[in-house]
Amino acid sequence: MIINTKCECGHQNRVGTVLCEACGKPLFEPDGQGNLLEMRYDGAARRSQRANPTWIDRIWNFFSSVKVAIYLIILTLLGAMLGTIYPQESTFINLSNPGDYYKTTYGTLGHIYYILGFSDTYNSWWFILLLVLIGSSLVICSLDRILPLYKALSKQKIQKHMEFLTRQKIVYQGDIEGSPQEWITRARPFLKKKGYRVHTEPDALLAEKQRFSRWGPYIIHIGLIIFLLAVLFRGMPGLHMDEYVSFPEGEIKHIPNTTMYLKNEQFTVEYYSEKELPTEFQGTGKMLPKLFQTKAVLYECTATCNDPSKKPVLKEVLRHDIEVNKPLSYKGLKAYQYDFDMTPKLRSVQPVLVNKVTGEHYGKFKLDMMNPQRSYTLGPYTLELKNKYMDFMLNDDGEPSSKSPNPNAPAFLFVVKGPDLPKEGSQYIYFPKQIDKEEFQQDLINEKLGGLEKKLELDVLAMGDVDFAKSTTFLNIRTDRAMPFVWIGLGIVMLGLVLGFYWTHRRIWLRVDQGRVTLGGHTTKNWFGMRREISSFLKQMGITIDEKSLDNGRNKG
Amino acid sequence: MKRYRRPVQIVILFFIVILGGYAIGSAVLGSHDKPEVGDKPPSFALLGIDGSVHHLEDYEGKAMVINFWGTWCKPCVKEMPALQAQWEKWKDKGVVILGINAGEDQMTVQNFVDQRGVNFPIVLDSDSDAVRDFGISPLPTTFFVSAKGKITSIHTGELDLETLGNQIEQLVQP
Amino acid sequence: MSSFDLLEISKHAFMYSFFIYCASFIFFAVAVMGRNWSNRNPEQHMRKWGRIAFTTSSIGLAGHLLYFGTRWAGGTHIPVSNMYEFMSFLSMMIMIAFTVVFLIYRKTTLGLFALPIAIIVMAYAAVFPREVQPLIPSLKSIWLYIHVTLAATGESFFAVGFAAAFMYLLRTVNFKGTDKSDRRQRRWVEFTLFSIIIVIGFIVAVFAFRLGGYETVFTREHVTTSATTGVSTSKVENVAYTMPPIIAPYDSTTDHMESFIGITEPLFHAPSWIDGITAGRKLNTIVWSILAGIIIYILLRLIIRRSLGELVSPLLKGLDPDDLDEISYRAIAIGFPIFTLGALVFAMIWAQQAWGRFWGWDPKEVWALISWLYYSAYLHLRLSRGFQGRKASWLAVIGFLVIMFTLVGVNLVIAGLHSYAGTN
Repeated sequence: MIINTKCECGHQNRVGTVLCEACGKPLFEPDGQGNLLEMRYDGAARRSQRANPTWIDRIWNFFSSVKVAIYLIILTLLGAMLGTIYPQESTFINLSNPGDYYKTTYGTLGHIYYILGFSDTYNSWWFILLLVLIGSSLVICSLDRILPLYKALSKQKIQKHMEFLTRQKIVYQGDIEGSPQEWITRARPFLKKKGYRVHTEPDALLAEKQRFSRWGPYIIHIGLIIFLLAVLFRGMPGLHMDEYVSFPEGEIKHIPNTTMYLKNEQFTVEYYSEKELPTEFQGTGKMLPKLFQTKAVLYECTATCNDPSKKPVLKEVLRHDIEVNKPLSYKGLKAYQYDFDMTPKLRSVQPVLVNKVTGEHYGKFKLDMMNPQRSYTLGPYTLELKNKYMDFMLNDDGEPSSKSPNPNAPAFLFVVKGPDLPKEGSQYIYFPKQIDKEEFQQDLINEKLGGLEKKLELDVLAMGDVDFAKSTTFLNIRTDRAMPFVWIGLGIVMLGLVLGFYWTHRRIWLRVDQGRVTLGGHTTKNWFGMRREISSFLKQMGITIDEKSLDNGRNKG
Repeated sequence: MKRYRRPVQIVILFFIVILGGYAIGSAVLGSHDKPEVGDKPPSFALLGIDGSVHHLEDYEGKAMVINFWGTWCKPCVKEMPALQAQWEKWKDKGVVILGINAGEDQMTVQNFVDQRGVNFPIVLDSDSDAVRDFGISPLPTTFFVSAKGKITSIHTGELDLETLGNQIEQLVQP
Repeated sequence: MSSFDLLEISKHAFMYSFFIYCASFIFFAVAVMGRNWSNRNPEQHMRKWGRIAFTTSSIGLAGHLLYFGTRWAGGTHIPVSNMYEFMSFLSMMIMIAFTVVFLIYRKTTLGLFALPIAIIVMAYAAVFPREVQPLIPSLKSIWLYIHVTLAATGESFFAVGFAAAFMYLLRTVNFKGTDKSDRRQRRWVEFTLFSIIIVIGFIVAVFAFRLGGYETVFTREHVTTSATTGVSTSKVENVAYTMPPIIAPYDSTTDHMESFIGITEPLFHAPSWIDGITAGRKLNTIVWSILAGIIIYILLRLIIRRSLGELVSPLLKGLDPDDLDEISYRAIAIGFPIFTLGALVFAMIWAQQAWGRFWGWDPKEVWALISWLYYSAYLHLRLSRGFQGRKASWLAVIGFLVIMFTLVGVNLVIAGLHSYAGTN
């Protein structure tokens, strides 16, 4: 099929052109003659429109259509709604059996919800597919329109076809006195004052302003594409880390999968005092937290990092007080205050050996909970550490053992050698915590072990001899290398939105034919403002008309 | 411009298919944080009670039984003799049994091992790095890794001699 | 001045500005309806009363700004951190958006529609506890305030867009027509008005029972069995109803109940899937709101003896529908970038600062996204022919519904069925 795309002005247009690229005469009218002109993309043909589409063209055309884009937006919107009916799996930190959970908590409906996969809507294949399709639509729609529009706008003819002017949404026609040239020269400065760029021919004029706002939508789309790419690919290996690590106060701990170490120097939690609370809370015992803060020191390992047999060499790189809303940030590594635990954790004690008979002290030694020294010499005595139990209990066979690896009820079994003691030594059990001493009856056990409790005793004399972590802070350690792209994408979107929505591309065409001036006006938005501007211009030219009468009301009803 | 249109279209559609496919693919397969059957086990570098550093790579080409355990965990203690027995049976036939202790110190582990007569390699995971990387929640958990370096099965809970034996038999089958 | 004094001023400013808005609404009504009173020049009348009404609404807005400023100074943080403060702020922003649009277009009738929205939102704010609450750590962030204020600003422009769109519909729907499409349009216009009346019904019910000091308390024993230890722990929860219980919480017993028109026991118990003890109360409140709305609606119908749409539509005579359509589009176009920046971009920045993730698919977040997608669909649809005028107006009306659901409904319905995001 041959479509005649040659305009009467002699310009050869491309297939799909709505308005002649040169003079603006309407070429293709789907819904009959005489209506307002279709001014989208200035009537230029979209790139994808061609005479004989192949299958590639068909796919391309599919994504190039605004209608399809709108359907995609609506489908995404509906999909997103479905995901808010019940809480998503991702909102639970530890949900071992989601299937059961939805069934027992929300009954049959919940079960169906789970079966259909809506319990993880936002990670489902179809939701991601929708996002990918929207992304494709953004790319192809923009590509298909930017170039033709750019071309159409950059080579505009000043004199347009009469029909092009009279079928604009803003039209004025009236007789003028004097020569066309003189009228147009007079009009020029008025329009310039209103911010228009004015191009003239002897009997025609084109005034245009804020053309850049036409690029707004495409800038938005570019920003969205960057944003979507960043969001879809931030989960790629190496770009993303998300770990929850506990840091007992005063300990340097390795941050997994990095060469960094972090020390929690002090963790503080503050609550609002009764006085600061509103009256409705007072006396209810309700605690409102005021501050969670971890005084953190970040270290970088500089040598022997991956060798567990050696101590890593650390260099302090940063100090920061981590609070909610004030994360630590170092070269893309972020540490967020996540949770805390105020249970104290014993680290070491420094007991002295006391002779119970004479009251003599034989000196102090440091007993670490983790990796303690194996033997100690105190005065005439030597203490050999034989075993230790972090969470002491007697098992079914009556043997001492440990309930857990946490130092909840630590106990140390020594073999003591020295004067007045058997040559092979005498066993002695020691509970550093007073409460355990009583609960597990240290003296009774020692009596059974060899009766050393009457001669010697290990005793902690001062509070300063006990070292414990007062609390533990839980930090969420993250790296997200795609974040800068997320922000850049969003920044571009905002730029495009501002350009596209707060400025409007306005054009005024004028031509004078036999003492009769014809004015056509077009704007992308805010016709009200445009009519006001044109009526004020006409007033300056000595023509007083009602703003509303400029409205070319052909499209009513 | 017209000349380039078709290649541009093809390149863009190609990228959409590749990138989109990747995005959907990773959503469907899930970004699982713990190793599953068929995956390679996560690598580690841990200090053994023998004083040397053990790497996963040290055991390349050998079938492996990686057992996570702790002295306080009763089923772990119960299955130790089975592991020891299988170690004695298989140690010369290209099978390694490796015990990873979850977070206890050298002394506790050493005492335990001496007391029970365990002599297969035991390493200490003092920072719980391996526990995290392997995604261990209850102890004991045992990973069976083929000589090709793929996890063939994961067993949670106590193993008896027979099950353990069968699993290792399957592991070394060609 | 002490912070107590400031908060006192703030409290009064809130109340006065509320009444000034009401007065301004009456003046707008006089301006529009009084046109046809005898021996008057309609245009002159409209200009004169329009000016009076707009001046009054500006005084009200000044009072509202005074409320905002003094509460900020007295409470030491921007007052947008709880429902009362947020809704007051939203109504203030609706007034600002109205003022901006009014100054551009000078349509007196717009006041007749924008003011009621602001008044209803403000009255809705007063339902919530008014005390200044100290901030929990996650709320102490400048990004949060930028986020909330900008989002509310964007939403208020959508509200003005809604008002203009609804005016367009009332202006163009044929109330005399008998064909199918006319009847359908009328029905939906009436339904929209009825929905607004339900909101009024809610406010009336809350204040009526609050004035009467009504209270009923339910208790519920909540038994949870631990999956690991098998030990059951029971927790006794209390919930106080401030409205007579039509629906008691699921599985609850009456602690004490004030009788209401002779009823001393709740009529129904909530079904089991309405989980949580406060969910029952919310459901009860919704039922009361609908009841009160229906009663008000029936009374209105009995008084005016026509549909509400028929009553209101003559007021819009003389307005150009195209102008209304454009005002609606313009308001939404002004609001859209602000909404994007406030409700999405700054929300992401704040979430990133506070929790390390810029997006967490929390229902509130998702609904903000849904609103955004909805309005972007609206903007794309407006590009194509046939989606101007009536269809676009309906879209703007529904869009505002989506916004209100995001602001209120998510807290009321979704959070009520689940355990998270518990606001009153």
